[in-house]
Amino acid sequence: MHPIFASRIRFALYLAGWFTLAPLLAALLMLLHPRPFADALAFAGPLTLFYSSACLSAWWVCRAHPPTGKNPVRTLLTLFTAAVQASAVWVGAGALWGAILARAFHVDPGRDTRLADLVPLALAGVPLYLLSVMAHYMILAFESSRAAERRVFASQVTAREAELRALRAQINPHFLFNSLNSISALAAPDPEAARRMCTLLGDFLRQSLSLGGRERVTLGEELALADRYLAIEQVRFGERLGVETHAEAEALRCLVPPLLLQPLVENAVKHGVADRVEGGTIRIDALRRDDSLVVAVENPRDPDAPPRRGAGLGLENVRARLDALDRRRTRVDVDRAPDRFKVTLTLPASEGDGAPGETGDGR
Amino acid sequence: MAAELTMLRAVIVDDERPARELLREYLEREAGVEVVAECANGFEAVKVIGEQRPDLVFLDIQMPKLDGFEVLELIDPGPEVVFVTAYDEYALKAFEVHAVDYLLKPFARERLSEALALARTRRAAAGGGSATGAAATGASPVAPGHLAAAARRPGQFVERLLVKDGSQVHVIPAEKLDYLEAQDDYVAIHSGGKTHLKAGTLADMSAGLDPDRFVRIHRSFVLNVERLGRLELYSKDSRMAILADGRELPVSRTGYARLKELLG
Repeated sequence: MHPIFASRIRFALYLAGWFTLAPLLAALLMLLHPRPFADALAFAGPLTLFYSSACLSAWWVCRAHPPTGKNPVRTLLTLFTAAVQASAVWVGAGALWGAILARAFHVDPGRDTRLADLVPLALAGVPLYLLSVMAHYMILAFESSRAAERRVFASQVTAREAELRALRAQINPHFLFNSLNSISALAAPDPEAARRMCTLLGDFLRQSLSLGGRERVTLGEELALADRYLAIEQVRFGERLGVETHAEAEALRCLVPPLLLQPLVENAVKHGVADRVEGGTIRIDALRRDDSLVVAVENPRDPDAPPRRGAGLGLENVRARLDALDRRRTRVDVDRAPDRFKVTLTLPASEGDGAPGETGDGR
Repeated sequence: MAAELTMLRAVIVDDERPARELLREYLEREAGVEVVAECANGFEAVKVIGEQRPDLVFLDIQMPKLDGFEVLELIDPGPEVVFVTAYDEYALKAFEVHAVDYLLKPFARERLSEALALARTRRAAAGGGSATGAAATGASPVAPGHLAAAARRPGQFVERLLVKDGSQVHVIPAEKLDYLEAQDDYVAIHSGGKTHLKAGTLADMSAGLDPDRFVRIHRSFVLNVERLGRLELYSKDSRMAILADGRELPVSRTGYARLKELLG
C-alpha cells in the first residue's frame, strides 16, 4: 500500500498542500486571462485534485530508483521522464476538463484561453511532480530509519532475553536438590560438615544473586563464585572431583558479564566428573593477551558416554551472551577431543575504574 | 499375631557417596531390610545384582557408564526397583518399567518407609517374596526390547547397544555396528570383527535404531548401510550385499526394495 495512506496525518498534510495550490493556480490563470475567480477555480480545483493523485505514482518510481542507486544520471533521467509523462497526462486532463466545463456547465473563457490555460499546467506539472518525488524520498528515508530502529530494538530485546535465560539457568534446580540431599546425608553422621555445606550453599546462592543483578563483574568475582560451586560439588563427588585454576592477576581485574562461566563449569562437572567412574580434574585458565581476555574451561570426558539431555544448551547460552556483548570482538572456541573437552572464551579486555559493579563499557 | 517380617535384601546404586550413606542410614533404621551391597556405577551394579540377586534395588538414574534404565535392561528381572533421583522428568518412564516407587532427592525417611512398604506388598502379592528370580516376581517382566524403548528419550534413536557377557557389560555404539543377525532366541551383534550374542528378537532390537542408517535387508539381517560395499545379483529374485570388509549377506526382494528406497 502507498505509505501516504498509512497515517491519517500524512494523508491530511498531503491533501492540504494541494488544496493551497488550487487557489494559487486559479489566481495565476485569472492574471493571465482575466475572468471571474469562481470560473478559474472551477477549472483549477478538480485538476489539482486529479494531479495530486497522479503524483502519488512517484512512490513506485522512487522505490524502484533509490537515491543511493549506482547510476544517478539514469535515475535523474527516469525521474524526469516520469515527470514529463505525468505532466502530459495532466495537460490532457486539463484539455478534457476545459471542454467539459464549456459544454456542460457553460463556463467558457473562450477557445484560445482554454488552450492558453494548458501552458501553465504544462510548465507547473514537471516541478510539481519532482516536488512529489522529493517528498516520497523523504518518506522512504524516514521509513528505513524507523525499520533500522526497530531492528536495533529487536536485537536489544533478544540480547536481554539471552541474559535473562542465562540468569535463570544459573541456579540449576538439580544442583540444589542434590546439594540438599548431601546435607540430609551429612546431618546425622557429621553435623559439622552438614553445617559447612549449608554455609557454602548459602554463600553461593547469595553471591550468584548479587552478581547476577549487575551489568559487569570482575573475572576475579566470577572465579570466586565458581570456587564456591565446585566446593559444594566436591562434597557430593568427593575425590572424584579435582580442580586446577590458573589465573593471571591482570586477567582477574578484567570485566565480564556476570555468571558467564557458570554454565561452562556446570557442564565440566557433569561430563568430566559425574559421567566418569573415576571422576576427573577440571582446569580453568585465565590470561590476558594484549587487548583480549582469554578464559578456558577444560574437562576430561568419557568417549563412550551417552549424550545427555540438554547438553549444549549452556554452551549456546554463553555464545549468545558474548554475541550480544560484541559480536565481532568475542569468540567461543570448542575443542572436542574424544577424551577431553575444552571451551575457550575470548573477549575484549576491559577493566573497571577500580569500582566493581561499574557499568563497564570499558575504561 | 503379626508374622515376622520377611527379610528384604537390598542393593544401593548411586554414584555419590553421601547419597549412598543416607540410604544406608535410613535403611538400617528400618526393620526387615538388609543392605547387602553398595555400588557406585552402572557396571558395578549389573555385576553385583547378578551375583547377589537382591529383592530390592535403590537405583539412581544419572550415573557414569550406564544410567539406571540401562542397568535395569541388563539385569535379570526379579528385584523390585525404587528409583532415587533429583530429576522428576523420568517418573513416567520409571513406572513404564514397573518401578515400585520413585523417590525425589532430597526425601524424608517416611517417604522411604512408604517405598519399602510398597515393595513388600508387591513381593507378597507375587507369592512368598522369595528371591527365586524372574518367575517369582509380581511385576510382569518386560521384554528387554520394550525396556530399551521405554528408556529411550522420545524422538531419539538408540545410540548404543548393551550386551551382558557373564558379569561383564559391553557397550556397542550404534555407529560401530556392522550388522545384526537373528539366531533363534538371540541376536548376533557384529561390530568391528567381533560378535556379541544378546537375547531378544531382531525386530525388538532394531526397532529403536536410526532408520536412515539401519535397514532390514533380510528376514534375519539388519545392515548398517554405511558398511555396504556393493550389491550383486545372486539369482533371479535375490541379491547379495558385499560389505566393505568383504563379508556377504543375503538380501531379500523386500530388503532390496528398502535399500533402494533409502539409497535412492
